[in-house]
Amino acid sequence: MTNNPQQTARVGLFFLLGMALIWVTFETLSGGKLWFKDKGYQLVAGFDSLKELKTGDDVRMAGVKIGDVALTRLAGRRAEAVLRIDSDKRIKADATATIITQGLIGTGYVSIDLGSEAAPVLPAGAEIRTAATADLNTVMSQIGDLSRKLEGALGGLGSALNGDSRQPGLLQKVDAILAENRENLSRTTANLQQITDKVNRGEGTLGRLLHDSRLHDELLAGVAELKQGATQARGFLANAEELVAEVKRGRGTLGALVYDQKAADDLKASLASLREVSEQLAQGRGTLGQLLKDDSLVRETRALLKKADRAIDNLDDTGPITAVGVVANGLF
Amino acid sequence: MTARLLAWLPNPILQVLHGTGSALFLLVRSLRHLPSLPRQFGRFIEQCHLIGYTTMPIVGILSFFIGSVLALQSGHAGENVGYKQFIGALVGLTMARELGPVMAAVLLAGRVGSAIAAELASMKVYQEVDALETMNIPPERMLVLPRLAAVLTMMPVLTIMADLVGWFGGAIVAQYTHFISIEPASYFANLRQYMDFSDVLNGLIKAEIFGFTVVLVCCHIGLNTRGGPREIGASVTRAVVTSLILILVLDFFVTKALM
Amino acid sequence: MPAANSNSPLPGAAPAVGVKVEGLAKRFGTFEVLRGVSFTVQPGEIFVLMGPSGSGKSVLLKHLVGLERPSAGRTLVASHDGADPATRERVRMALVFQAGALFNSLSVYDNLALYPREHRLGDEAAIRDRVMRALQILSLENAVHKLPAELSGGMRKRVAIARALVMEPQLLLYDEPTSELDPVMSATITEIIATLRQRYQVTSIVVSHDRDLALSIADRVGILMGGQLVFLGPPADLRQPTDPRVADFLNPRIDLEHPRFKHLET
Ligand SMILES: Nc1ncnc2c1ncn2[C@@H]1O[C@H](COP(=O)(O)OP(=O)(O)O)[C@@H](O)[C@H]1O
Ligand SMILES: [Mg+2]
Repeated sequence: MTNNPQQTARVGLFFLLGMALIWVTFETLSGGKLWFKDKGYQLVAGFDSLKELKTGDDVRMAGVKIGDVALTRLAGRRAEAVLRIDSDKRIKADATATIITQGLIGTGYVSIDLGSEAAPVLPAGAEIRTAATADLNTVMSQIGDLSRKLEGALGGLGSALNGDSRQPGLLQKVDAILAENRENLSRTTANLQQITDKVNRGEGTLGRLLHDSRLHDELLAGVAELKQGATQARGFLANAEELVAEVKRGRGTLGALVYDQKAADDLKASLASLREVSEQLAQGRGTLGQLLKDDSLVRETRALLKKADRAIDNLDDTGPITAVGVVANGLF
Repeated sequence: MTARLLAWLPNPILQVLHGTGSALFLLVRSLRHLPSLPRQFGRFIEQCHLIGYTTMPIVGILSFFIGSVLALQSGHAGENVGYKQFIGALVGLTMARELGPVMAAVLLAGRVGSAIAAELASMKVYQEVDALETMNIPPERMLVLPRLAAVLTMMPVLTIMADLVGWFGGAIVAQYTHFISIEPASYFANLRQYMDFSDVLNGLIKAEIFGFTVVLVCCHIGLNTRGGPREIGASVTRAVVTSLILILVLDFFVTKALM
Repeated sequence: MPAANSNSPLPGAAPAVGVKVEGLAKRFGTFEVLRGVSFTVQPGEIFVLMGPSGSGKSVLLKHLVGLERPSAGRTLVASHDGADPATRERVRMALVFQAGALFNSLSVYDNLALYPREHRLGDEAAIRDRVMRALQILSLENAVHKLPAELSGGMRKRVAIARALVMEPQLLLYDEPTSELDPVMSATITEIIATLRQRYQVTSIVVSHDRDLALSIADRVGILMGGQLVFLGPPADLRQPTDPRVADFLNPRIDLEHPRFKHLET
């Protein structure tokens, strides 16, 4: 009944030690965030599928944990993850959230990219942009298929651009045309004299065209830009070859381009356009030559130059393949 | 209706139901005396000493080796698969969520549960319990309540020690085994990356449930011993076996419930 | 000797209680131990219950303190039902168990101090006073700090009685207090029982097969055989028993020519 004081002290010490250890563990593992958890603010991210994402998974920005998944739910025809973001972390409006499946046995997390510096900050409760990514399983099942597709596509691209033994490729053709254009252009200049004569002789339809002094400049500029486009296309080709090599080496860096069906479709469409361009180039050698023989051609040339302008403007944002496609489509 | 149903049940099931019911009644009768707990501080400390302090060494030794062997086995299995770097998380989570509480409870059953059953069975057989009753001292108040309070106080302490010792055991093995050789810093970094205090808390809750059940069951079986001294041994065996079964069965359901 | 003083373990303030047993029957499974036992014990009386081993004497005592529930009939202690646990709170009853039932993990002192401590009957000093007084009455001062395992059989019985005394009971039940003791110790215990009653007017029921005890201190005697009372009356009536079973029980003849166990076999 009466305890000796030593026993009481031992039990007390033992208990305090235990509590201290629990506290230390708590501080180490949760950084004291369990009970006084930073409430933060919430963002909504909609996906086709949340895959293996579950409540409590990390939200990371550039690999640093900035919050966690507070809730997962179905909202109509899509799945939504409610993300709890630490209150001191700002997310830019153009930042994109993707679901990352981590390794073979790891769990998923939501990765948010930094976004651009200039973009406004997302307010609490806002919806964040998302991008679908294939999870590991899908990748595994599709990778063979994809690499086959990719190889075929890029092989086609290569032959389209460079040509093979039988046929010259697009680039050769473009080069050739540009070389010829120099001649054609001088011919154009020479013919302008004829046009002046014709205008003097009262053949008025072309008059307006000739009064429009910008035509010549535009033509020159257009050709220069076309040339630049060709250089860029060549640069792209080098990149594409590298790409193919990388895919062949089995690197996963192709990322979205490889896995995204839309990108693949774009690629296909572009290739088709390139082929078309190449055919048309082969047939249409005389098009520039016919410029002066047909009134309507002049009008078309003007429209075309505008289109080419636009296309070249777009070049920077849309990337090389589509740019070439647009240029080619616009031209022919 | 119920009586009819009960009569149809096979004997072992009937016994399980009867045991569960009367153990719960014992719990209720004990909890009725909760206000008397402060007066029984001495007994509480005595039981804390037995349940916590004297059980610590064996819990420490066992969890050290459990942690070590966890690291060893997972390191061995993961060597080719390439999840070697996850040993920290693996040992950490397994110890905290599963083996820490279960080992502490199993040792509690073996070391303390058996002692409780033996003591109470002997008190029952030698009519000490009857004597208490004639003295108008409820046995639940004096014999059961302080033990239940003590186990609730000591289980978290035992479990956190089991967890930590297990983690360190794993770290040492991970560092010095040639086919693993993971630095403690990486081991613990991995452990911390994949663990949250809620994992540890989860284990502590499990341990409380196990410990409480073990003590309640052992008290119940001890106090329900009938017959002569021979029955003391039988009661001890029954108490420990029942405790072990209950720990593992409860483990499943509690784990599921806490997920 | 003066009657109870204020410091005594038995102040005598609480009145002694009467006991009534009415048609008490007890069955364990199919085994009938008691079949309709009835008797009354007056307040302050010493009632000695005798009977062969296994006749159900201990079982009967357990019914009085509520450790067993009757199959039929009932027991009344100061007109409260003995089977009702609440009776223990209304009437202080002490049972001196046949085997002592001392708390083996507690010292003699703590064995005695348990009751007053648990019921918070005064501070530690008052309890000490009370315990030492009870130990003095039974000449156990030297055994205060011993554990039950370190005591002789006679001492255990006396500690058991002392522990009952500390409760200041209104009803004291002794289960074979003198068996397994040497004749001198038996006589001592017998004297103690008589003295306690004399001093404190406590109602006492003594289970015993000790003829000398019954004849010397009993106010009335009951003899239990085969689950029934075969004798109930003053000890004087036992000197010339009419019932042959009672006569044989009290004065068994040892007949080596016709041993009893041979009769039993056939
Ligand atoms: N709890 C019990 N369960 C079954 N039988 C019992 C129980 N208690 C006593 N008995 C039986 O009742 C009979 C009377 O026992 P008891 O009262 O102890 O005898 P005694 O008169 O020697 O004290 C014995 O035959 C004993 O076997
Ligand atoms: Mg008996």
